[in-house]
Amino acid sequence: MGKVKIKNLKKNFGDLEVLKDINLEVKEQEVICIIGASGSGKSTLLRCINALEDASSGTIEVDGNDITRADGNINKYRQDIGMVFQQFNLFPHMTVLKNISFAPVALKLKTKAEAEEAALKLLRRVDLEEKANVYPEQLSGGQQQRVAIARALAMNPDVMLFDEPTSALDPEMVGEVLSVMKQLAKDGMTMIVVTHEMGFAREVADRVIFIDEGFIVEEGPPSEVFGNPKNQRTINFLNMVL
Amino acid sequence: MNIPSLIVQYWPRLLAGLALTVEITIISLILAGILGLVFGLLSVSKRKGLRGIALVYVDIVRGTPLLVQAFFIYFGIPQVLGIQSDPVVSGIITLSLNAGGYLAEIFRGGIESISRGQMEAARSLGLPYGMAMRSVILPQAVRTMTPALINQCIITLKDTSLLSVIGVTELTQTGRLIIANNYQSFEVWAIVAAMYFIIIMILSKISKRIERKMSYGKSKN
Repeated sequence: MGKVKIKNLKKNFGDLEVLKDINLEVKEQEVICIIGASGSGKSTLLRCINALEDASSGTIEVDGNDITRADGNINKYRQDIGMVFQQFNLFPHMTVLKNISFAPVALKLKTKAEAEEAALKLLRRVDLEEKANVYPEQLSGGQQQRVAIARALAMNPDVMLFDEPTSALDPEMVGEVLSVMKQLAKDGMTMIVVTHEMGFAREVADRVIFIDEGFIVEEGPPSEVFGNPKNQRTINFLNMVL
Repeated sequence: MNIPSLIVQYWPRLLAGLALTVEITIISLILAGILGLVFGLLSVSKRKGLRGIALVYVDIVRGTPLLVQAFFIYFGIPQVLGIQSDPVVSGIITLSLNAGGYLAEIFRGGIESISRGQMEAARSLGLPYGMAMRSVILPQAVRTMTPALINQCIITLKDTSLLSVIGVTELTQTGRLIIANNYQSFEVWAIVAAMYFIIIMILSKISKRIERKMSYGKSKN
């Protein structure tokens, strides 16, 4: 059973074709890493999955719901799709605790007390319990990203999307974020991760997808994509980044 | 007569004029705030038609002098509708529409100054657009807008003086009426100017304090 099913997805920005024909199925508890050069369309693909970008054509099913024809249901569908951004995008006017508990309370899924208790549990999980009452600007980049992960998890999503979650971090903070993500993968979360961290992809991904010029050029288990790439473009890309 | 004795003699009238000035300012700014918020939100809408409505409104307000707007609303519209117009009501309508246009631009600028990622993060959690705007974008936007908002308050307060030409007995008109009695132009205008100045200085001081209090989380931890 596919958790996420993408069929014939195309996305244009004006005359520019960013995604040309994407077909992808992600199974429950699978961890997918999407790699590729900047401008290859990998972030756009991720953003199409929760309709931050509208697909030009094709279908994207998450849990059997077609995101591209969501109409009035998109807010409901998005509750089940967590997203972590490159720039964290924490709400600067809310404390860490409020950042995490805000959406479940505002959407009336939990009472304030329940949401805050759950938020504290999540903070413990990302090892930031003592930061519950500070504001995001007082946290390091790595800490902010861990809070952002907790915020997304607070909605109990079925799928987590990560859009280059470590690209805006200082090198010494990359590890703490990746280890939270590793734990999440171990706990059985279905994850789609756009990343430049090849080490992470190699170690954690069940499947690696290489995107180039709007197509999936190569996909397979990391051992194959990294160890024995078939396509010349994959080989060229890996030679540049490894 | 010297200035102190003029003040003593005309104090009740000056104070009544000032009170009307402040009253008109406050009512106009409340109405303008609502107009500004509504049209500011329209101007950041995804729909072209809604943005167009806001654009037309803002352009009309900015493209015509306040004095002409006041004449149009006090003399022009009542003539067509065949109604008797009240100078204070006309004045409040004029200032509300006028300040509303400028506030719409301030709101638009404030909302657009907040990074797109904030809206995306809120929407990705499943929050509807309106809720995301209200709880995530606007609270941040208002903080960055605060200096411009206060500036507009001061401008509107000073603009009330233009309503003297349609016969609103606010502070400036009060000054004109007093001078019509005693011909002491220099002294009376000096008093009127000083009264505006003091009120505006008080406003600026309060606003500085609010601005200082508004930086995020500085007081905690």
